[in-house]
Amino acid sequence: MLFWQDPQFGDRMITLMAALVLVLQITMVAQRWLVTNIRAFAIQSFLLACIANTIAYYNGATHIYIAAALTLMFKAILLPVILQRLVSRIEIRQEIEPFVNVPLSVIISGFLTLLAYVVAEPLQTQAALPGVAGLGRNTLPVAIALFLIGFFMMINRRKAVTQVLALLSLENGLFLAAISLTYGMPLIVELGIFFDVLVAAMILAILVYRIRETFDSMDVSRLSRLKG
Amino acid sequence: MIAQIISVIGQTALVLLFSPLITAFSRTIKARLQTRRGPGLFQPYRDLHKLLRKGMVIPETASWIFTATPYVLFATTLLAGLLIPTIATQAPLSLFGGVLAVVYLLALGRFFLALGGLDTGSSFGGLGSSREMTISAIAEPALMLAVFTVALGAGSTNLSSVAQAAVGQSWRFLSPSQMLAFAALFIVLIAETGRIPVDNPATHLELTMIHEAMILEYSGPCLALIEWSASMKQMVLMTLLVNVFFPYGLSADGSPLGMLISVALFVFKLLILALAVVLVETGNAKLRLFRVPELLAVAFVLSALALISTFLFGVHGG
Amino acid sequence: MWPTRELYTSGLLVFAIGALGGVACHWWARTTSWTLRLFCGSALSGAVLVGGAGLGGLLNASELSWSLPSGIPYLNCVVRIDPLSSFFLLTLSLLAASVAVYSFGYLRHDTAAKSPALSCSLLNLLLAGLTLVFAAADVVFFLIAWEVMVAAAYFLVVTKHEAEESRKGGLLYILMSRSGTGMLFIGFLLLASAAGTTDFRAMHAIGGKLPAAAGGVAFVLLFLGFGVKAGIIPLHIWLPAAHPVAPSNISALMSGILIKTGIYGMARVFFDFYGVLPAWAGMLVLLVGVISAVLGVLYALMEHDLKRLLAYHSIENIGIILMGFGAALLFRSYGHPNLAALALIAGLFHTLNHGLFKCLLFLGAGSVLHSTHTRNMEEMGGLIRRMPATAVYFLIGAIAISGLPPLNGFVSEWLTYQALLAGFGATAELTRVAFPVAGALLALTAALAAACFVKAFGITFLALPRSQAAQAAREVSLSMRGGMAMLALACLVLGLGASWFLPVFDPVTQQAFGINATRNLATGNGFILTAGSPQGGSVSTPVLALMLVALSVIPLILWLLWGRKQKRSIGPTWDCGLPGLTADNEYTATAFSKPLRMIFGALFRPRREIQAEFEVSPYYPKAIHFESEIQPAFEKHFYDPLRDRILRMARSMRPVQAGSVHAYLAYIFLTLILLLLFGVRG
Repeated sequence: MLFWQDPQFGDRMITLMAALVLVLQITMVAQRWLVTNIRAFAIQSFLLACIANTIAYYNGATHIYIAAALTLMFKAILLPVILQRLVSRIEIRQEIEPFVNVPLSVIISGFLTLLAYVVAEPLQTQAALPGVAGLGRNTLPVAIALFLIGFFMMINRRKAVTQVLALLSLENGLFLAAISLTYGMPLIVELGIFFDVLVAAMILAILVYRIRETFDSMDVSRLSRLKG
Repeated sequence: MIAQIISVIGQTALVLLFSPLITAFSRTIKARLQTRRGPGLFQPYRDLHKLLRKGMVIPETASWIFTATPYVLFATTLLAGLLIPTIATQAPLSLFGGVLAVVYLLALGRFFLALGGLDTGSSFGGLGSSREMTISAIAEPALMLAVFTVALGAGSTNLSSVAQAAVGQSWRFLSPSQMLAFAALFIVLIAETGRIPVDNPATHLELTMIHEAMILEYSGPCLALIEWSASMKQMVLMTLLVNVFFPYGLSADGSPLGMLISVALFVFKLLILALAVVLVETGNAKLRLFRVPELLAVAFVLSALALISTFLFGVHGG
Repeated sequence: MWPTRELYTSGLLVFAIGALGGVACHWWARTTSWTLRLFCGSALSGAVLVGGAGLGGLLNASELSWSLPSGIPYLNCVVRIDPLSSFFLLTLSLLAASVAVYSFGYLRHDTAAKSPALSCSLLNLLLAGLTLVFAAADVVFFLIAWEVMVAAAYFLVVTKHEAEESRKGGLLYILMSRSGTGMLFIGFLLLASAAGTTDFRAMHAIGGKLPAAAGGVAFVLLFLGFGVKAGIIPLHIWLPAAHPVAPSNISALMSGILIKTGIYGMARVFFDFYGVLPAWAGMLVLLVGVISAVLGVLYALMEHDLKRLLAYHSIENIGIILMGFGAALLFRSYGHPNLAALALIAGLFHTLNHGLFKCLLFLGAGSVLHSTHTRNMEEMGGLIRRMPATAVYFLIGAIAISGLPPLNGFVSEWLTYQALLAGFGATAELTRVAFPVAGALLALTAALAAACFVKAFGITFLALPRSQAAQAAREVSLSMRGGMAMLALACLVLGLGASWFLPVFDPVTQQAFGINATRNLATGNGFILTAGSPQGGSVSTPVLALMLVALSVIPLILWLLWGRKQKRSIGPTWDCGLPGLTADNEYTATAFSKPLRMIFGALFRPRREIQAEFEVSPYYPKAIHFESEIQPAFEKHFYDPLRDRILRMARSMRPVQAGSVHAYLAYIFLTLILLLLFGVRG
C-alpha cells in the first residue's frame, strides 16, 4: 500500500486542510485589503474542494466529485474573478472601518471557534465511526466555526462587497458541514444551494455597483437614508 | 560531570560564534533580493572586532545602569542559549530551566536594555524603551500560549523533554496544532527580533525605530555586546522554533559522525528559517506602530487555535 | 517543646504596651528620639516574638489552641495556631520587623506627621489587630479583631487629615470595609448555623453540610467580603485611594500584609470551612483572579503617582494569588489533591513574596517621597545619583515584582504557570481551555508589569532630575535603608533558596488536602525545583544565578584582550543639535505609557486636551497646556450610579427621621413588641 492510500494519511491531510480553511477565515477577518480578502476566499474554496475530493477518493463516492468540481469552478475561480473585476471597476481597495476594530474582531473569532467546538462536541461523539466512514467527521467544528465567523463578518462589515464575501464564506461552512456529516446532501439540493448563492452573489454585485452610483459610497449603513 | 562541562563550553562556543553568521546570512540574502551585493558573510565578525577595540563615550547623564546593561543583556541571552537543545536533544543546562526560564531570561535582558535606554535622558532612548516594552508585552500572550501548546503535547516545559517527545513522530509537523503554533511563534519571532514588518533593524529614522532608538547612545565595546546579544537572541529564538517543530537530526548518540550530521542539519534548518524571515522582510512594508497589535492579535488567535486544535481534531490533532 | 503559646501571648502584650505607651506619650507630649526608639522597638520585638510563634506552629505541624480571658460572657476569645495561621503570622513578622526598623527613621524625620508617638501607637495597635486576625478562632472574636485592624488602619490613613485627599481616601476605605464586613457577617452566620457553634475548630468542612444553595450563597458572600479587603476587581476602588495617602510605612504594611488578611480569610474559608466545592466556585475565583491581574496592571501603567501605581500593582498581584487559589479549588473538585497542593503552594508563596517586594517598593517610594516631597513621577528623575542605596533596593523590588529570574517573584509565578499548565490534562471540557488561557494572560500581566516597572524605576531614578526638589534630594537615614535592605535580602534569599523554603508549606497542604506535596517539588539536593514530577519541567534559580555570574566573565575577557587600553570618555547625550540636553527633552511617564494607552483605548477611553498659545506661527508655541486623563470605568459605570441611588433612597427615608426623641423611643418600643411576638410565636 502506498502511503497516500492509507486512510490515516487522508485523515491527517483533511485535518490539516480544515485547519487552513479556518485560518483563512480568520485572515479574512483580520485583512483590510479587499483583494487579499477575495484571494483568501478563493484559496479557502480551493481547499474545500480538495477536502471534498479526498473524502470522495477514500469512500469512492462519485457525487462528491461533482460537488468538488463545482466548488472549484465557481467558488475558487469564477466568483473571485468576477469580484476582483468589480473591485477594480469601482476603485475601492480597502475596507475602511469595520464596526469592531481588528484585534478585537480577531479575538472574537477565536471565541466563536471555541463556541463551535462546544456545540459540535456532542454531535461528534455521537457520530463517531471507525475507519474510512469516519473520515472528515472531525471537521464539523470547523464548519460551524466558518458559519459563525462568516455571520459575524456580515454584521461587522460596512461595505456591501465584503458582506458578499462573508456570505460566501458562510456558505462554505455549510458545504463543509454537509460533506463532513452526510458525505454531501443529495446532489440536486446541493446544486440548488449552489446556484442560489451564485445568483445571490451576482445580484449583490450588481446592487453594489448601483449603490455606489447612487450614493457615491458603498456603505450599507447609508441605505437607511432611503426611507422617507 | 566532565561531559557536562564540555557540552556547556561547546554550546557556549556554538552560540557565541555561530550567531553573527545568521545575521550575516540574513543580510546577504536580503541584499541579493534587492539586487545588491551585500557586505559578505564575515562582516558582523569584523564589526564586533572593530567595536571591541574602540574607546567608548558614556553620556554624562547616565548612571551605572547604563554600563551594566550590556553585560546583563549578554549574560542572560547567552544563558538562554544554553537552555535550549541545539544539536542534541539534551541541552547542557536543560534541567536547570525550561522554556519559561528562557522566556524570562530574555525578559530580564530586555528589562535592563529598556532601563539603559531611559538612562541616557534623550527622548530617543525613552521612545525606544517605551515601544520595545509595549510590543514585547503584547507579544507575550501569543508566545506563551504557543509554548504551552507545545509543552502540553510533550507533557513538560523542559525543552529537552519537548524535543525528545518530538523525535521519532513522523508526520508530526503536519498536525494542525503544530502548524498553527509554528505560525504564531513565527510572528512572535519577527516581533521579538525586531524585523520588518514590526521594526526595521537598518533604520535610523526616529519615527520608525524601536530597538535602534534604545541603543543610540551606546558605543565601542558596549555596543559590540549589545549587537552580539541581538544576534544571539535571534539565534536562540530560531533554534527554539526549528528544534521544537522539526527535531530532525538531533543526535541521541554521541558518535562523531552523528554529531557531524546533526551540526549540518542544524545549520541547514536555521538557514532555511532565516531565509523565510528574510522573504517576509523583503515582501512586506513596515507596519505603522499601531497596526502591530493587529498582527500580534492574529498571532494570539493562531496560538489559541493551536491549543483548541489539540482536542478539536481528536487524536491526530495533538 | 517550643513555647509557641508564650511567644504569641508575649508578642501581643508587647504590641499592647507599645500602643498604650504611645498614647500616653502623646498625652503628656513627651516625644523624644528615645521614646520613638522604644515604641518602634516594641513593634520590632513584638514582630520577632510573633514570628517565633508562627515558626513554632509550622514546626510542630499540629494545631494549638487556647482561650484568652475576655471578661465578657459568651465571648470566647479562642486563639488557635494552626499551620495556615502560622504561615501568615510568619509573613506578618517578616514585614512588621522591617517596617518597624524603617519607621524609626521615617517618623523621626517626617515633618508631616504631627505626632510621631501617636503614629507609633497606632502602628502597634494595627500589628496587634493583625496578630489577632490571623489566629482568632471564633466568629465573633474574629470579627472584633477584624474591626480593630480596620479602625487602626483608618486612623493611620487619615494621619494627614487636613488634606482633603486623605479624608476622602479614608472615608472610601471605611465604607468599603464596612460593607465587606457586612457580607462576612452574613456568610459566617450561615456557616455557623450549620455548625451550631461559632467556634472555628468545629467548622472544618462545614460548608458541605449546608444545603447547596445556602452553601453557594455563603461562599460567594465570604469571597466578596474578603475580596473587598484583598482588593479584587471590581471591589478594589478603595485601594488606590487609601494606600497613597497613608504614611509610607503604613502603605507598605497595608499592601504587604493588611490586604493579605483577605487572602488569609479566603484560604481559611476555601480550604478549611469548605470541603470539595463545585467547579463553578473554582472557575469564579480563577476568573476574578485573571480579571484583577490584567486590569490591575493596565490601570497601574496609566498612573504617574508612584504610590498609586504601586497600589494598583497590589490588585494585580492579588489576582495572581487568586489564580493559584482558583486552580487549587478546581483541582480539588476534579479530584487531584497533588495538583491542588501545587496550586495552593503557588498562591501562598506568591502571597509571601508579594508581601516582601511590595513592602520593599512602598518603603522605597516612601524614601523618595521623603526626600522629594512629591509622589508625582513627572517631577522626579536622576535620583540614582542622589539616593544610590534606595535606588538599588527599589531596583531589586522592581525585578522581583516583574517576575524576573532569579528573584522570588519568578519562582512563585513559575509555580503558578506549572499549576495552570497541569490543569489542561487534569480537568474536562471547557475548564481545560480556561487554564492555558489564564496562563497566557498571566504572561501578559507579567510582561506589562515589567513595562510598568521600567517606567517606575526609569522615570523616577534615571537620567536628569525633572524638578528642583528632585535636584535637591538626599539619601535617607540609616534605619530607613536598613528596613529596605532587610526586605531586599529576603527577596534574594527566597528567590535563590526557594526549594529549601517550600517545605514550610507541607503542614498547610497536609491540613488542607492531607498530603505533603513539597517532597516532589525539589530534586538534586534541593538545587532544582520541579513541578511535582521530573517530566513536568524544572528550574533552578541558584544555578541560573551562578551561570549568569560565570558568563559575565566572557565579556570581561574580551575587554581584557582588546578594550583595556582604550579610554572611556564622558560626553554629552545626543540632543539633536539643539543647545544642551535638559530635563524637558526627557521622555515622561505619560509618554512612556502612551502606546499602551492607545492600544487599550477601548478600556481606558482616554481624553486629552491641548491648548497652545502662539504669537507668530503655530510652529513656535509660547505655552502649551496639555491635559490627559483616562476614564475610571468602574467608578463611572457602577459606583456612581450606586451612590446616586443610595442618596435618593436616603432622601426618601428622611420623613422617618423626625428628630424627636419620643419618636425614636416609639420606634424602639415597636421593634421590641414585634420581636417579642416573633420570639414567642415563631
